[in-house]
Amino acid sequence: MSAPLLAVDGLVKEYRMGVFKPKTTFRIEADFTIEKPTVIGVMGPNGSGKTTLFELMTGSNAPTAGRVMCAGQNIHRVKTGERDRLAIHYHQSYQVRHFDRSRPDFMLEKAKSDYPLIHLFDEPQFNTQDGYIGFMLNFFRKLRAEERLVFICLHPTETYHIELLNDVCEQFIFVHHGTLTHADSLPTLAADPRFQDYLGNLVTAVA
Amino acid sequence: MALLEAHHIHKRFGDQVVLENITLAFEENRLNGIMGPNGAGKTTCFNVLTGRYKPDRGRIVFDGEDIGGLPPHKIARKGIARSFQLMNLFDQYTAIENITLALPEVRARGMSMMHDLSTDGETGDKAAGILARIGLAGKERVEARDLSYGERRALEIGVALAAAPRILFLDEPTAGLGAEATGSIAELIAEIRRDLTIVIIEHDMQFLFGLADKITVIHWGQVIAEGTPASLQEDEWVKRSSLGGLA
Repeated sequence: MSAPLLAVDGLVKEYRMGVFKPKTTFRIEADFTIEKPTVIGVMGPNGSGKTTLFELMTGSNAPTAGRVMCAGQNIHRVKTGERDRLAIHYHQSYQVRHFDRSRPDFMLEKAKSDYPLIHLFDEPQFNTQDGYIGFMLNFFRKLRAEERLVFICLHPTETYHIELLNDVCEQFIFVHHGTLTHADSLPTLAADPRFQDYLGNLVTAVA
Repeated sequence: MALLEAHHIHKRFGDQVVLENITLAFEENRLNGIMGPNGAGKTTCFNVLTGRYKPDRGRIVFDGEDIGGLPPHKIARKGIARSFQLMNLFDQYTAIENITLALPEVRARGMSMMHDLSTDGETGDKAAGILARIGLAGKERVEARDLSYGERRALEIGVALAAAPRILFLDEPTAGLGAEATGSIAELIAEIRRDLTIVIIEHDMQFLFGLADKITVIHWGQVIAEGTPASLQEDEWVKRSSLGGLA
């Protein structure tokens, strides 16, 4: 049996401040496995850890504990210049990557893929003034059809954001204070009072 | 086979992937549009196709010949011309002089012949013909700096046409233009497209939908959609957003 597309294994990232009495300022924990190509919607308030999660999954940020396995390869053990062959992070319209270079590249292994397996879209601009939304959603579906895993991070502020998440996503992750909640549908997620609180008036669009 | 084909083009600058696995084909005598939001990689794609940047991976084939990695002047000589997003005219020269300077026979003689550029009968006629084709008949003796912004854009296209290209690349021909001047450029392109392969980069979707035979949508350095304007506009979300249904 082949390795799952993504296995986030006991992942922890902790930020601490202070030298003598260090205090944890932020902590995110994640532990989940995605076996097959899927389109996953990621939501959560600002500062909840969405982007940190994406950085950990693309290997640009080093975890405090745990590991991220992309198709069987530990992404943090892969040469920095080849990590985007496993997982690529798109920040709005262009890609950003600043790597924590903890060890020299010659000590790291080569990526076993030639084309990104996991695509993470961080708050793509869904602009109502042009027709790009349609093209973008079809592109997400095309990637999935090509056996890729797609994450779309979106902070819903309009009814059509809920509609497009419903339209294209098959699974959802809600990030809240560094904790992940997984669900197969938005209505399931909407049973969570924290998610209701996050969506505010938009919660009526989910039902 | 298409006149120009790009196969699996990759380009990165440092840690940043700018083009990821781009495959394109431009059929002869067709008008091809490339559109995408700002920062999508359109101009880099153009620069790779016209030889300004060498792709890290992939092949570019023009009329059956691999031209990847050739320097821009050699690519130009094969019949690939481009206009720039930033204008590229000699301001102190007249419209007809700008065109004449770009004619291959004048280029071959070198810049020293500049003084009798417009008096030479044959090249003068040829340049005047190009000016007429781009709607600038009557402006022959006007210096480029005294032309309107829209006329300067047209003249830029004329300069590219002077090289008698087989394929013409236009980088945002309507950038900075108002509705009226955009209309004139659309007319100009409709006029010159008949016996020419044209590739236009544009973020004005309506402009491209009205002109192009085929449109390629680039985003995140990748081809995210491709098809005729009609097929692209069939998408439910495209319909809703362009009709203002989401506003």
